[in-house]
Amino acid sequence: MSQAATEKPNSPEPKRSKGFHISRRAFLGVSGGVAATILAVILALKRPKLAEPIETQTKSVLASQDWIATSCLNCPTRCAIQVRRVRTTAGQTKIVRILGNSASTYSEGKCCSRSHVGLQVLYNPDRFPHPLVRKAGTEKGRAVDYENDFEEEDWGGALDRIAERLTSPDRLLILQGLNTTSNEDLIRQFALAYGTPNVFNEEGLETDADRGGKMLADGQPDSGYELVAEDGTSTKYILAFSSGIVESERPLARNLRLWGKIRRELPNKTRVVSFDPRYSVTASRADEWVPINPGTEGALAMAIAHVILSEGLQDSHFVNDYTDGFDTFSAVARTQMFSPESVSEISSVPADTIRRIAREFAQSKPAVAWSGEAATSWPFGTLASHAIYCLNALVGSIDVPGGLVYQQYPPYAAMPTEGLPISNTGITFRKMADLLRDGAIDIAIGFNSNLIMSVPESRGRGKWDETLKKLFYVHVGPAKSEMASYADIILPACTYLEDWGYESAIPGSGYAESRIKQPVIESLYDSRPTARILFDLASRKSLPGFSPVLSTPEAFAEDFAKYRTSPLMGWDDFCSTGVWKGSSYSYRNYSFATGSGRFEFHSDHLERLLQVGLPGESTEYPLRLAIYRPVLEIRSGSQNFPWAQEMYLVMHGRGWKNLVEINHETAHEHGIGEGSKVIVQSVHGEIEGEARVVEGMQPGVVAIATGQGHYASGEFADGIGCNPMDVMYTEYDEESGQPSFFNTRVRILKA
Amino acid sequence: MANWGMVIDLDKCVGCQACSLACKAENNVPHGSPYDHKRHHDIYWHKVIAAWEGEYPAVNTQIIPMPCMHCDHPPCVNVCPSKATYKRSDGIVMQNFRRCIGCRYCIVACPYGARNFNFRDQVDKEYQRPDLPEDLGLSNEGHIGPWPYPHRTRGVVEKCTYCFHRIDQALENGEEVGSKLDGKHGVLPACVEACPTEARFFGNLDDPDSAVSKLLASRSFIKLREEMQTEPKTIYLPR
Repeated sequence: MSQAATEKPNSPEPKRSKGFHISRRAFLGVSGGVAATILAVILALKRPKLAEPIETQTKSVLASQDWIATSCLNCPTRCAIQVRRVRTTAGQTKIVRILGNSASTYSEGKCCSRSHVGLQVLYNPDRFPHPLVRKAGTEKGRAVDYENDFEEEDWGGALDRIAERLTSPDRLLILQGLNTTSNEDLIRQFALAYGTPNVFNEEGLETDADRGGKMLADGQPDSGYELVAEDGTSTKYILAFSSGIVESERPLARNLRLWGKIRRELPNKTRVVSFDPRYSVTASRADEWVPINPGTEGALAMAIAHVILSEGLQDSHFVNDYTDGFDTFSAVARTQMFSPESVSEISSVPADTIRRIAREFAQSKPAVAWSGEAATSWPFGTLASHAIYCLNALVGSIDVPGGLVYQQYPPYAAMPTEGLPISNTGITFRKMADLLRDGAIDIAIGFNSNLIMSVPESRGRGKWDETLKKLFYVHVGPAKSEMASYADIILPACTYLEDWGYESAIPGSGYAESRIKQPVIESLYDSRPTARILFDLASRKSLPGFSPVLSTPEAFAEDFAKYRTSPLMGWDDFCSTGVWKGSSYSYRNYSFATGSGRFEFHSDHLERLLQVGLPGESTEYPLRLAIYRPVLEIRSGSQNFPWAQEMYLVMHGRGWKNLVEINHETAHEHGIGEGSKVIVQSVHGEIEGEARVVEGMQPGVVAIATGQGHYASGEFADGIGCNPMDVMYTEYDEESGQPSFFNTRVRILKA
Repeated sequence: MANWGMVIDLDKCVGCQACSLACKAENNVPHGSPYDHKRHHDIYWHKVIAAWEGEYPAVNTQIIPMPCMHCDHPPCVNVCPSKATYKRSDGIVMQNFRRCIGCRYCIVACPYGARNFNFRDQVDKEYQRPDLPEDLGLSNEGHIGPWPYPHRTRGVVEKCTYCFHRIDQALENGEEVGSKLDGKHGVLPACVEACPTEARFFGNLDDPDSAVSKLLASRSFIKLREEMQTEPKTIYLPR
């Protein structure tokens, strides 16, 4: 205490005011009291307030609830789900929960995380409330302003405008994003009735090369990896060639469920080896991660075939009795160019490792070689897919329990074709791109299309931006998306939770399964089922094939689903259980749809697999760009879902972004640190992102997750992360015409 | 009285996040924003973390789902000055929103990062459940407990409850609670119910016949930060 302070009370004549006297003690007491009161008031004001008295809050507001069986459409797996609908005493109806449907054996009643996001697909704040028509003179694409660029139109008017534009069948292009199976059937039917061959299914962007390579061998478009057969036989060994089995590979929910089974629930745990440039979720869950140079998966498959054939480990029974072209294939595979030592040089996998894995693979039955998108999305993708697929044949895993099976489909009632010839397989990406480039298209209709976000060269000098700006484009979809930003007319379709339809199980189980799609809630906006939109358009053009099952336009979607599924089971039963299951799969039919009727080994051009551009070969663009699809990339084209956003990259614990992932050595060479802003450049363009320096990455590779970089999808998606497609350039798979998404060289700079 | 615990098989878990999402839906946990995410203000009763180890090419990532550990000796309960957090007799560590004064001692004390603070009021457009069954008739030991959720309040702490409302309701209705090894499960917490790989199990740790007890007897297991003697009841089966 200072001297002045101690002396003050003792000073002989302290100063006093005459009118008001207060002792020191009282002053302290009063001011303390005032302070305490103020504090109490502040506390009382800031104290959390209850909106209502506790008694009223604890009163039930739940009037009724039910679970409705329907199916998901957040990825192509289309799982059977059940949805909890509640009604409150205040009369509010809301969907509050989504779970797998236990009636579905396909994924054993489970659904993956994507299904849960369905709530936010339905309650997406950026849905279109009405049909919209673009005002003249407004700019399409990135600069879109949904509020001011469009004006409301009623359904009749919007459909009339489209019908007016439909003048020549050849000049119509139909783009098909992720749609319900029943709507896909109707879209094909519409194209057929109208007479346009130009239907492009965007799923082909990811799968055409892979499917093409498999079809070379067995002529069947629908082979799938069974993992666990109905009798409990499980795959014993999985060679995953850059395949995200538990991350993105379809059928995802089935893969996830059976992953739990093969890893721990069945005797003899399945061994999984992952060849992948990136330490993916699948690689981290596998028994062994073998980092490889991107694009060398096909060559590696041939090296494994080399070991199997040189050491006589192949399944002679299958190879001798059911295959064609084996001798030539064997001779080619056993040449020096595919020896483990030669392939080791380009793939960076040690020759001993190749030998060991080849032996393990051939000696654990049933074993499967699983080709992922990253292995087949190359200019030689069809060949790579074929080479990997042939490994399955060498070890006799074709059409056996736990191996590869051929998917069967439900026996739906025939499409009401009225004599239309049924053959419309659609066009390839290359053909579609050519048509647009040549100006051969006047009008395009996109059903949930996500084209601009999923093709290379989408922006900057990109041709897609320019092409789509020139096109008269009709977007059919429930919510804002980048394709809608190019639209001249937007038709708000229902979300899958408000729609009628049916879904078929995709390849994986062998046996057929059909799932219902029924509205769990009345349409939230003035949106209509895709089926009805097609029906109304067809009526305006008086197209055949849209009448026999009809009652009214309003009921068409339901009646069509009812008609098509009538051979399966009673409609009411189907609506309540939600799932129809076909008879058990019968193995070893070996019915190959090839010229020879056998499984065909093709050995032409296999040396092409060795001509891979490795990282570091080009000095200007020394790195290889690899994309991947995280589990929470919702595959319907929008990412405007906060739940999916905030848990986007589980391996990095990050949300609301994607990252430029590089190996620490590569980062060091380029002077890049964790979290720094970097620019990824290719000859086509550049994007900016945040660097993530990781150990789990092949040096010389840059990996970026897809699904971000939106700019016209709504408040939870726009401006988040970057879209790696923006720097890709277009090269086609030589056989299937699929763009090769993994063949882009980049360099990386500090921003 | 049961002693509820959860067993998570890290060999089956593939980090798909169905558990985290099911939890958000069931418990009406508000979603965050990029702003919240940057500041770690977003609320997760359950999240999946990944821990990287090793150097290229010998890397290893542990993907670890993290609900509340519901410790037998919960440090959060010890430090709470207002008795807002407490342990029920069945072992579930609860948080009473109405008693919480927002001092956040418990957040500091929790070694698992299982607790969340409401930095702001939940805005209406964030996902809400209008139906929350506020009158489940829960015997919550005299406390009003954390219900109802639809109205959250800024300035209080919240956390995982092992979906106590589902358990209590099931027990009142005479239904079975907990996982079964044959797949015919009783009532489960939302995260366990939603797990597509069936990596999660829930049940009575004191019952030798429960699936969780059998699993713990069949394999080696780990408890996170065991050295802190918190005795967590969320237990992991390593790969």
